[in-house]
Amino acid sequence: MKSDYLKLFPFTSLTCLGLAIFFLFFLGVLVWVFWPQRKKVYDYIQNLPLQAE
Amino acid sequence: MVTEQSTKLETFSFDDNIVKKFLLATVVWGAVALLVGIIIASQLANWKLNLGLPWTTFGRLRPLHTNAAIFAFIGNAVFAGVYHSSQRLLKARMFSDILSKLHFWGWQLIIVAAAITLPLGITVGKEYAELEWPIDLLIAVVWVIFAINFFGTIFKRRERHMYVAIWFYIATIVTVAILHIVNSLAIPVSFFHSYTVFAGVQDAMVQWWYGHNAVAFFLTTPFLGLMYYYVPKAINRPIYSYRLSIIHFWALVFIYIWAGPHHLLFSVLPDWAQTLGMVFSVMLLAPSWGGMVNGLLTLRGAWDRVKSDPVLKFLVAAITFYGMSTFEGPLLSIKSVNALAHFSDWIIGHVHSGALGWNGFMVFAILYYLVPKLWNTKLYSTKLATIHFWVGTLGIVIYMMSMWASGITQGLMWRAMDGSHLMYPDFVETVVRIAPLYTIRLIGGLLYFSGYLLLIFNIFKTIVSAPKVSEETVYSAPALAPFHHDANQENGHRFLEGTADLFIILSIVAILIGSVIEILPTLVSHTYVKPLPGQTPYTALELTGRDIYIREGCYTCHSQMVRPLSYDVLRYGERSRMEEYIYDHPFQWGSKRTGPDLARVGGKYPDLWHYRHMKDPRDVTPKSIMPSYPWLLTQRIDYSILSRKLVVMKQLGVPYSDSTISKAVDSAQAQAAQIAQGLEAQGLPVKKDSEILALIAYLQKLRLPSNQGAAQ
Repeated sequence: MKSDYLKLFPFTSLTCLGLAIFFLFFLGVLVWVFWPQRKKVYDYIQNLPLQAE
Repeated sequence: MVTEQSTKLETFSFDDNIVKKFLLATVVWGAVALLVGIIIASQLANWKLNLGLPWTTFGRLRPLHTNAAIFAFIGNAVFAGVYHSSQRLLKARMFSDILSKLHFWGWQLIIVAAAITLPLGITVGKEYAELEWPIDLLIAVVWVIFAINFFGTIFKRRERHMYVAIWFYIATIVTVAILHIVNSLAIPVSFFHSYTVFAGVQDAMVQWWYGHNAVAFFLTTPFLGLMYYYVPKAINRPIYSYRLSIIHFWALVFIYIWAGPHHLLFSVLPDWAQTLGMVFSVMLLAPSWGGMVNGLLTLRGAWDRVKSDPVLKFLVAAITFYGMSTFEGPLLSIKSVNALAHFSDWIIGHVHSGALGWNGFMVFAILYYLVPKLWNTKLYSTKLATIHFWVGTLGIVIYMMSMWASGITQGLMWRAMDGSHLMYPDFVETVVRIAPLYTIRLIGGLLYFSGYLLLIFNIFKTIVSAPKVSEETVYSAPALAPFHHDANQENGHRFLEGTADLFIILSIVAILIGSVIEILPTLVSHTYVKPLPGQTPYTALELTGRDIYIREGCYTCHSQMVRPLSYDVLRYGERSRMEEYIYDHPFQWGSKRTGPDLARVGGKYPDLWHYRHMKDPRDVTPKSIMPSYPWLLTQRIDYSILSRKLVVMKQLGVPYSDSTISKAVDSAQAQAAQIAQGLEAQGLPVKKDSEILALIAYLQKLRLPSNQGAAQ
């Protein structure tokens, strides 16, 4: 019994739940990162390597 | 400017001496790594170049090549780039000059120790983790020194925001530490010998979780950090999309850690773990190409400069090779493709497109960019650097093409069926067909090495023509004011990027999710996987033979895993089962079949055949390219630590009785004498304590328990 669970992992509903959680999390990160008001911060950070040494 | 900083200016300088040291070490070890690569490539093209000596034979030099390339050449380059870019991005000198020096000299000591022990056959027998426990401990200590120095610099920085390159460095440092410590867990038998705590399928899962993520977090994430710093610097414009770099980072570190099981497809690893490894490997294409596109598009509108600037040439080609190898990786992880490619030279071609193209060219770009800058001069010859670029590129292309052709040809020959029979049942037939491609690969390698010699000359001339005295430049920047989280939107984002400790914790969480889900179920496999009927642990002599097998690096050319594929079963015998490997510390499944699989070799040939084969493989297989092992006939078995070996194995769960342990030497000598008598009866006088006897005992053990009849 335990062997079957560990070898085969038959819980498809858990797999779907995992997919939903990770995908929604990913969408949340996308919204967070691309939120327009953050442009000012990104503009500053992306120029850090170019600041005079 | 949107940082919170006090108005008081602080002055500081950068420690560039440590960067220079790491750069010079990179140049030196790069030559060693490539030269050993040339040697072992030539040995595959012509077996005589193994020279018949233990320490010059392929099985011992191949680990030296991989370790030198990864940890010595690429490792030193990573440290140079990290030390140089971090100080500038964080506006702070490294936390401690003493720690920097300890890091540098400690790392060189590790490399020297590896260069001595590996040719001597002192090895754990796990790919890319071959170094024995005292060196493993030293690696852990030096890595902690590096971590303290790096995180100390972060905490004393004068720039609130941590640029994305710093994120990649953080992920590298924490993940490599976790990978190294877990995969190196072992119980010492002596100062030069240990047994890994994991066995069989557990060891395989942990090893390839480590092995693949050594590629991910030692050869990829630090280089992506370097790409995000040096591409903008070289082209003097910001990265194409900073937003994309954030998605790139989190997606990459989260997904990469799951991909290890794609090295174990069609093995006895549980199917669900194999599927996870395959699916996450395919998903990995998205963040990998996101990063590649971000790097390449940074050059939009400035492509004309690539024509004249060798640094940009190397950078662009490196990123392109990154794109190619991160397309090929997911492709090779698809089970149907993997069935053809696994164990073949296609994998070798894939690895080298990444190592020579992505890592190598990034290192060359950084060297050509940094050496003139740090030595306060100009590059000696742009023309030579350009020639280096074209010679190197040609070398990589020849290398990759020959290995693709070799791998696909041999893979197809292994599976070619004529009705229910193999078309090429004799393994050596498939070797003979691809042998010319080994010579072509060698030409590719020689070209790449020739280009590298140009780099050495160019860098040397640049440094000797530099002004003798250069003072450290003093910079000034305001100190950071204490940081308070503000709930408004702007600061909401800055909270994460500006708070190093939280960022470190989140990075660890991102890599631990996949690690725990994949590894934990495997680690409890011993609770439900029981021995097969009649299965017994290795005898004392077989265990000794197994250690000789590991010492000689047999796993670099032979697998011990019969896949559940019809042509594997037809060629080698019944498919492998998880139970067979429960006493294997470490596992020896291998990743390459330059020679045939050995999981069912026991009983296939008589002892006499093995004796003749090890003495000179051409004696029994005329076209074999395997090295000869004449020293196994003369070297004596070391019985001195045999009992201790069994004691350690018992501690690891192998069911040896106290009586077996106390009589280990006697029983080993008796078994050796029995094999020797059999050989003598066939006209071969052999010393009763020669190592060949132990190796024969081990090889004859490699079969299913149900097939373990009388010794041949």
